[in-house]
Amino acid sequence: MPLIIKDEYPEKLFRDDGKRLDGRDKTELRPIKMEVGVVENADGSAYLEWGNNKIFAAVYGPREVHPHHLAKPDRGILRVFYRMTTYSVFERKRPAPGRREKEISMVIADCLEPLLFLELYPGTSFEVFIEVMDADGGTRCAATTVAALALADAGIPMKSLVTAVAVGKIDDELVVDLSGIEDKAGQADLPCAITWFNEELSLLQFDGDMNLKQMEEFLSLAKTALSEIYQIQLDALKKKYIEIQEEVSGGNS
Amino acid sequence: MMKIKRVISAIEKNYITQNLRKEERFDGRGLWEYRDISIKHDVIASAEGSADVSLGKTRIMTGLKYDVGVPFPDLPDEGVCTVMAELLPIASPLFERGPPDEQSIELARVVDRGIRHADCVQTKKLCIEANKAVYILFIDMYVLNYAGNLIDVGGISALTTLISAHVPEGKMEDGKLVWTGKYLDGEYLVNEMPLVLTYGKIDNVIFLDPSLPEELICDGKISISVTEDSITSIQKSGTATFSFDEINMLAKKTMEIGKKLRKDLNLWQYKVNYK
Repeated sequence: MPLIIKDEYPEKLFRDDGKRLDGRDKTELRPIKMEVGVVENADGSAYLEWGNNKIFAAVYGPREVHPHHLAKPDRGILRVFYRMTTYSVFERKRPAPGRREKEISMVIADCLEPLLFLELYPGTSFEVFIEVMDADGGTRCAATTVAALALADAGIPMKSLVTAVAVGKIDDELVVDLSGIEDKAGQADLPCAITWFNEELSLLQFDGDMNLKQMEEFLSLAKTALSEIYQIQLDALKKKYIEIQEEVSGGNS
Repeated sequence: MMKIKRVISAIEKNYITQNLRKEERFDGRGLWEYRDISIKHDVIASAEGSADVSLGKTRIMTGLKYDVGVPFPDLPDEGVCTVMAELLPIASPLFERGPPDEQSIELARVVDRGIRHADCVQTKKLCIEANKAVYILFIDMYVLNYAGNLIDVGGISALTTLISAHVPEGKMEDGKLVWTGKYLDGEYLVNEMPLVLTYGKIDNVIFLDPSLPEELICDGKISISVTEDSITSIQKSGTATFSFDEINMLAKKTMEIGKKLRKDLNLWQYKVNYK
């Protein structure tokens, strides 16, 4: 049966003043807020608000592998579970994980694995659980970004962080950080992630059409945006320790 | 990070039990005291109502979604309200991913029964056209951190979610469903305010709001749902047995504590006005 208010696509994705529907410039990111250590019970955790996206990530590990046959005798394994709540989207999502969630889990796992020294943890597993509480476009990039933070918060040795963002094409213009409506009504979407230890792309997908020149433009736009988000990630990670430091030094004086 | 084990050591268990016999809790609470409760409402933009409720370190985020469907043949002019719960694997090392287990089903069922039998949701008001179209409300609870007593947190978060509701109002026009431009809010949907209170029992001592270590070693629990003036559902779980006197005492206590809690929480402040 139909829902009452239809998820309607607007005809134009730019306003008359040249700004995007949510008032952003072409290369402007949505407001991003990150915090680590938000889930008390987890070994490491992080929370991210990126526009209307709200995502929790928590890490457990290194711990015993369950089921046992997945364990590898010479290295640890990394498992990522990206899931969405039923109320995170316009039409209620069915509670069981769908094909999309499984694919994104795999893409994120492949993106994060190069960062870890899994060969140092034989027979164990690292589990990253990502819960999208509210979704509004670009959740796989936001999820990758917050998952990296949670891994770092867990104190797991990493080569560097990873940061992700989507760039895309709407109404024939290249833009950074597509919102939900721009993602659905736009012409192209290119989510990508950069691993900072070698500054290479660790996640890359593309849907739409572009020519060679646009490809170059896309990637250079992405790189600028990624540096901006990386800084927010670093600040969030440091903030926890700055707070502890202040608490300790405050107690002495 | 908190170290959580499936098994509590004998020393720790003794410590908790001996304190309880002296009517003291290991965390400094009295026998009939709740941990701190904090509530945030309307936190999810995609949901038609939501709440983020913490009781001590236990935290549940709940959202409301709706659909329009055909009513049950025996209740042709009543909508439906269902509750689902998921114990997310992020919430505790004791939780595993996968299909709902007994614990999450019990949580959903007890909260659901508390709401259903209390005349809380006005299901007749969820009817758009008898026999043809009614609202189906989904209250979905996600546990974000587990530190004992999920049921009470679930009850408060489900109720807050309903109170913060803003469901688009529909009407039938020439056999088609259209939006009137208005919203159904919490005040329209919610009548009674059921609260569910859970007690643990260890060695014949009964106490309110079991925390995680207490929950892991307790012989049994009992959850009682109450509205302003009646008891609407009871669930006993675990292997403990309760005497008739104990049940009568708990029923009376629950009415008392429930009244005070309802007043303290003042849940109507979480109503959302959508225009």
